[in-house]
Amino acid sequence: MLWSLLALRQFGQRTISTTSHSHFKNRVPEKQKLFQEDDGIPVYPEGWVADVPLYRATMILTVGGTAYAIYQLAMASFPKKQD
Amino acid sequence: MTHQTHAYHMVNPSPWPLTGALSAFLLTSGLIMWFHFYYTLLLATGLLASAMTMFQWWRDVVREGTYQGHHTPPVQKGLRYGMVLFIISEIFFFAGFFWAFYHSSLAPTPQTGGHWPPTGILPLNPMEVPLLNTAVLLASGVTITWAHHSLMEANRKESAQALLMTIALGAYFTYLQMSEYSETSFTISDGIYGSTFFMATGFHGLHVIIGTTFLATCYIRQQMYHFTSSHHFGFEAAAWYWHFVDVVWLFLYISIYWWGS
Repeated sequence: MLWSLLALRQFGQRTISTTSHSHFKNRVPEKQKLFQEDDGIPVYPEGWVADVPLYRATMILTVGGTAYAIYQLAMASFPKKQD
Repeated sequence: MTHQTHAYHMVNPSPWPLTGALSAFLLTSGLIMWFHFYYTLLLATGLLASAMTMFQWWRDVVREGTYQGHHTPPVQKGLRYGMVLFIISEIFFFAGFFWAFYHSSLAPTPQTGGHWPPTGILPLNPMEVPLLNTAVLLASGVTITWAHHSLMEANRKESAQALLMTIALGAYFTYLQMSEYSETSFTISDGIYGSTFFMATGFHGLHVIIGTTFLATCYIRQQMYHFTSSHHFGFEAAAWYWHFVDVVWLFLYISIYWWGS
């Protein structure tokens, strides 16, 4: 049954070359070297150029959003007039 | 520079638990603002912030495990325990909805007309699309097992193909279920039948989407050579979750779709 599934799958695919048809190179050793450097930097800001902007965006969104949510809840607690 | 003399993972401080907790606050207060004031900005912010937190948190777990080698056998054992306990908690979550269904359907009240399905409710035919959905999920259980065995045998091509087939079957289930939802003659507000039907199948559908996303992440990681033939717990966790989703569907099909019609 599995062989017929495989055959069905191959029917819909492009020609498979004898080399790996994945579009990725094996970059794991490079990443392992990068993250195992004894530089004391934690995992979350190092590894990709967008790490720090993404972190900052998340913090702004959550902390800012929380402040805004508290403001909205305060406004909702005092209908019409504000103390 | 000192190095640890034990096999455990002392995780470094991380901002994601904080952003996760704040996102949960934004989600809940966002729901309040939406329900009471039709205001969606807070909810949207909460959804975005929680998605960003999840992405970065799990990205860091991959970095710690695959790139830094922190996932030693004892650590992996802990991760296995964690996933098992999480799935057990999800089983209890669904147990509540099944309890509600059986409570109402085993002893139908005068309000339903004294029988189940209630008067006026036209259930979906269990031998049509719901049966196809059952076949789709059962097949996906086969393909994911095939993917696992291929992975363990270091067969990259087959494990990628089988994983892709599993994802396609999951997406097909979601598409079929969405079209079924548009075909029902009843809605969530149509009495206890509508409530139990859509709460149980709705949450199940959400879990199918989560499971499909998990599998897609595994596919990407597999393509990036993250998994070895002996160490691929992320894939196993996704497979366990997928089998859980399949089993829940079988209970749903037999209870609500078949017996309940």
